[in-house]
Amino acid sequence: MAVESTFLLALLGMGLASFACRISGFLLMGYVRITPRVEAALKAIPISVMVGIVTPAATSGKLPELLGLLAVGLAMKLVRNDLAAAVAGAATVAVARWALG
Amino acid sequence: MTKDAVSFTAAGVRRGFFTAQVMAPGIILYAMVFGVLASERGMSWLQAMLMSAAVYSGSAQLAALQGWTATAAITPVIVTIFVMNARYVLYGASLQPWLASLPRHQSWGSLFFLGDGNWAMAMREYEAGYRDAGYVLGSGVAMFVPWTGGTLLGHLLAGNVPNPAAFGLDFMLVAFAAAIGMVLWRGKSDLWPVAAAGLAALTLHRLLPGAWYIVGAGIAGGLMGAWRHGR
Repeated sequence: MAVESTFLLALLGMGLASFACRISGFLLMGYVRITPRVEAALKAIPISVMVGIVTPAATSGKLPELLGLLAVGLAMKLVRNDLAAAVAGAATVAVARWALG
Repeated sequence: MTKDAVSFTAAGVRRGFFTAQVMAPGIILYAMVFGVLASERGMSWLQAMLMSAAVYSGSAQLAALQGWTATAAITPVIVTIFVMNARYVLYGASLQPWLASLPRHQSWGSLFFLGDGNWAMAMREYEAGYRDAGYVLGSGVAMFVPWTGGTLLGHLLAGNVPNPAAFGLDFMLVAFAAAIGMVLWRGKSDLWPVAAAGLAALTLHRLLPGAWYIVGAGIAGGLMGAWRHGR
């Protein structure tokens, strides 16, 4: 997005989208009942998006990426901290890329 | 729960602001990750800071970056923000009793700065009987400087990183998503949505460019979550 006007358009769109999410539940509450089924859908979305982000790397068949994901899993089991786990995963990928050339 | 009169005072804003500082170190580090990744995607420091200020959501910004290229299509990036921030619809709805009686600039302003952490803290305070809604705004605004400042810091440090891939930094977002996914995992009820999301991502990643595979995963998982509800 080198073109400045394109960036500003994207920024405006992203800002409005983000604010719309924050404001809409508050505004709609008076009109629409959030049924348990709707709630179940909304609750399932964040983890589904995370899975979406991970899927291409997990199915790429590249060894550094797979070792990196393994490191994330192990770090989460050991320290229960997503920041530490992400750093461990990235470090593992770096070392594996270096070692495997 | 009794519906006590809700106030909105500077004292409430201050109380929220200072209580929420416990989250600041984590927010700064998280923002630095975004700053590094934004730099890696070719954003300037000003663009990255503007994005942090306008979107104000770590998970949404990181996901949007994934579809951010030199010739990025704007639509999938915006849809990604919608999908990632869909949980805020619920947050806003649950804050309705606290903010409904306030003038619009106070309620809308509080909602602009809403985050996962300060929402949780605000709901806890409301349950405890606290009724100064300034707390909601204060605890949300508290993360503004750590978030935008951390973004700048990460971007500046990334300037000294010759090749991000050599340090595995291009993998950072995937690693974060995997870790956060494990945090979000609530057990067997998530199995079907996760399977649907994985299948959708796998298919769309091969068919479409940009961030659509992330959007598709969110929608597929959400639909599956609704369909599986009560089964």
